[in-house]
Order: sequence, then structure tokens, then C-alpha cells
Amino acid sequence: MHLLSRHLLLFLSICSCCVCSCTGTLYAQDSAGIAVHGFVSQGFLFSSTNNYLSMKSSDGSLQWTDGAVTISDSLGDNLHVGIQLHMYQLGEFGGSNLQVDWASGDYRVNDHFGIRAGKVKTVWGLFNDSQDIDAVFLWILLPQGSYPIDHKSFYLAHVGGDVYGALFLGKRAGTLHYDGYAGQATVDLNDGYIRQFADLGLVFTNSLGGKTYGGDLRWETPVKGLDIGASGNVQAVDGTAPTGSIHVPPTFTPSMYAKFSRGKVYLAAEYDREPINATITIGSTTFPFVADGRSWFAMGSYRLSKKFQAGSYYSHYVDKAADTTQPANYSKDWVLSGRYDFNQYFYAKLEGHFLHGTALGYYTSTNPNGLAPDSKMLAAKIGFTF
Amino acid sequence: MSKTRFLILLLASLGSWSAARAQDVVLVANKGVQISEITNADLRAIFIGTRTRFADGSHAVPVILKGGPVHEVFLKSHVGESPEEFRSEWRKLVFTGQGAMPKVFDSESALIEYVSATPGAVGYVSRISSQDRVKVIAAVK
Repeated sequence: MHLLSRHLLLFLSICSCCVCSCTGTLYAQDSAGIAVHGFVSQGFLFSSTNNYLSMKSSDGSLQWTDGAVTISDSLGDNLHVGIQLHMYQLGEFGGSNLQVDWASGDYRVNDHFGIRAGKVKTVWGLFNDSQDIDAVFLWILLPQGSYPIDHKSFYLAHVGGDVYGALFLGKRAGTLHYDGYAGQATVDLNDGYIRQFADLGLVFTNSLGGKTYGGDLRWETPVKGLDIGASGNVQAVDGTAPTGSIHVPPTFTPSMYAKFSRGKVYLAAEYDREPINATITIGSTTFPFVADGRSWFAMGSYRLSKKFQAGSYYSHYVDKAADTTQPANYSKDWVLSGRYDFNQYFYAKLEGHFLHGTALGYYTSTNPNGLAPDSKMLAAKIGFTF
Repeated sequence: MSKTRFLILLLASLGSWSAARAQDVVLVANKGVQISEITNADLRAIFIGTRTRFADGSHAVPVILKGGPVHEVFLKSHVGESPEEFRSEWRKLVFTGQGAMPKVFDSESALIEYVSATPGAVGYVSRISSQDRVKVIAAVK
């Protein structure tokens, strides 16, 4: 009860601050050209067995609070600058420290070519750069095989630069959008990977990371509402802890996706592959860590009214480098979701998960007695955005 | 209520319903904008943030109404999205640092005033009067 009160109080306080700072216009709080936007959400998770995402979800958990504020300004026709500050609590992850989601300067030379530099969100697959924006999705949890929420701080952004633009191919050929980037990505000390390394005996006290580069090509086809795309990312990771180290050589992670959105219907599918060939050293012992993650999902939703949207997806993950018959090496999730928008600011979501396998989202610290192979989960969220 | 009064009210409500259904929008732009017509594809690209320039290369500044039937008709017929989709797409751009949301106006008169004073501004209203210092542009397929 004490925990429940504390989280609700935090959520309501942030909402109150947002409402007070809001002058009645939905889209932007505009003062001398500066736009301020924000979002905050409070989640609840209950699972039939196992504790998910480091929450004590089998008892019902409210340890799931998210909030962010974005401040941006246009300095002339071509130059745009902004920053997004983010604070979250997800079970044992996140905490009271304020994170910079992105902070960048964006110079668009013309519609065909622009440059973005600073801490920039990484464009990869359908949702990588938007995975933290709960307000824009029907889903409470995105497909975890592709967008694991406990590792989002690592995948979300890089410090470096992007080039981007669009090529208008004509009425019969559509538009080709491109984005290419290079920089450095860092695993935050409050990320789920740090907890997983700690379970292996590697307790990092400094964040780890490495060089990253990649790109995304998205074809907005002449078929109204149909986008097809592909992304590729190369990432290296190196880190040293008092008890050892980890080395991941540059590794290519491809993604292919398609999205169809017309009227009340939304359909999307994506296939991703994430091979890992790491070397871990603990004390004087060095051993390899090999995985070959293959994931795909298919999702569909329908807007039943202006305020209500419902949908479903299936998410599939399997580690092909391991014994794929073992629940620890796969995760298959059937999901049913509903979202109700009270108005342009407030919304509520409800989601059911039928999860088979334990490859994703489980931690030893909250499951000391082992894991059951299957689990059913109910997630709920309320949110506010402006 | 007499049958006559009921019939009059019914006809009046039907009349206002068909007026709302038939309502179209007038595209307005700052008088400095050189183009006199714009394709629906270009208009959509400008309002969803893909394009920032008109076909003649000059800078475009899209502005929108907060809500209402004119807003809905414009989005449906020229952008191809519902207000909910439009809002969601722009939120995605704003929160990923990839765009700045168009300026929003509570009333058509405020929108017209802004468009008349802002180089490159383009928006939509239900009608304009002869006093409005804006340019009407045509949307073509």
C-alpha cells in the first residue's frame, strides 16, 4: 500500500506540474519560439508466475513510472535544436537520476539532405527511436524480442552524428527516406545488461560501450499507407570491471520491416537478427559467450472509435546458437491490447500477455527459485502527454 | 411540441448536418508565397514534416487548427490521416528530436492573422473575407 501510494503520488504530482505548465493548447507550449512538450505514465504489472522485468510482478507491481520533457527551438529556417530529459523506474532499473534521451542540433540543408549531431536517437527498425514514447503506441510493451524495454537505454541513442533526407521519386514511385549515422553507444549503469553481467560475476562500476555505425532506408511506396524498410547497425562493446572485462567485436545487426496504415487499420511486421560473439574474462578465466538471436513480430490494430483502439501482436524470439527446445532459449508472446483516450492529453491502456519461454526479461534477483516455462501477464497503464 | 415545429427542427438539423458534411477547406498562404497551386502529395509532405519547402524552393511554414470539422476535413482530404494519427505521428517526430510541431491556433481568425504576417506560412480555414491579407492557393491531384 505504501509503495502504491508513493508511485501514484509521483505520477499525479508530475501530471499536476504538466497541467499547470500547460496553457490549454495541446500541441506546444510556445514561448518566444521555444516549444515544450512532455509525457508521463504509470504502469502496473501482474503475472501469474515468475517475476518479469525485475518487478515483483507475481504480487502485482507499480514499479513502472516514466516521465520526460522535451525543449526545442528553431533558430532560423534550417536549424533546429532541442533536448529531452527522461526519468524512469522499471523494477530495479532506472531510478532517480535524470537521463538525457537526446540533445542535438539539426541542420536541414534542404529536403534531400540534413545533418543531426549530438546525442541522437538511433533509427533502426520500425520503433527503435520511438520505443520510449509510450503515448504514441497502442501497446504497453513493444515486442520484446526486438525492443527489450530493460535494455532500451543502450539501443535508444548514440553520441555522434546522422545524415538524413528524402528522395522524391515521383508520383508512381513514392519517396525514399534515408538515415546514416556513426558514433558511440553506451550501456547505462542502470540498464538490464549491467544486472545480467553482475549475475555472471562482472560488477561494472563504470559504464561500458563502443563505436557504432549504421543506417536505415525506408521506402514510402506509391501504395497509400505502405512503407517498407531495412536497417543495419554495427556495434562494438568493451568494458572493464574490477573483477574482469567484456569484449564484443563490431557486430552487424540487420532489420527488415513493413508497415501499412490506412484509415482505422494498422498492420506491421519486422524481422531482426542479433548475433553476439563476446569474450568474457572473470579473474584469470576467459570464456566465450555466443548467441544468435532471431526475432520477428506481426501486429495489427483497428480503431473502433475516436477514443478506443484495439489490437494484437505475436512476438517470437529464439537463440539459434543454443538448444531451441529449452524455454531459456526462446520467448514467444501472444498479446492483446486496448487503449482508451479520455481526451487529447490523458489515456489508459490494458494489455494481456501469454508468454512462453524465459529467454527475455527475467532476472535471477527477482526469481531466486527458478522460472516456470510459461506465464500469463496483465499490464495496465495510464498516461498524460502534451 | 406541434408536428409542424418538430418538422421544422428536423429539417433545420438535417440542413446543418449536410452543411457540415459538405464543408470544404480553403488553403491560405502568406502573400509572399509564389506558388498558386500545390499538389496534394506536396501538401501532405509539408504537413507531415517530410518537406520543408514549396515546389519553387521557398521555405514552407505549415500551421494548423486545434480541432473542429475544418481541421478534420483538411487532414482527411489533403493529408490522408485522422486527427488522432496526425497527432501521434507529430508526437513521434517531436519526442525523437526529428521535427518541431506546426504552430496550432484555436481560431481561424488567429490562424489567418499569423499566416498574413509570416513569410512562407500555409494553413487552411473554412472561408476568407475580402479583408484578409492572405493568398488562396489551390490543391491539385
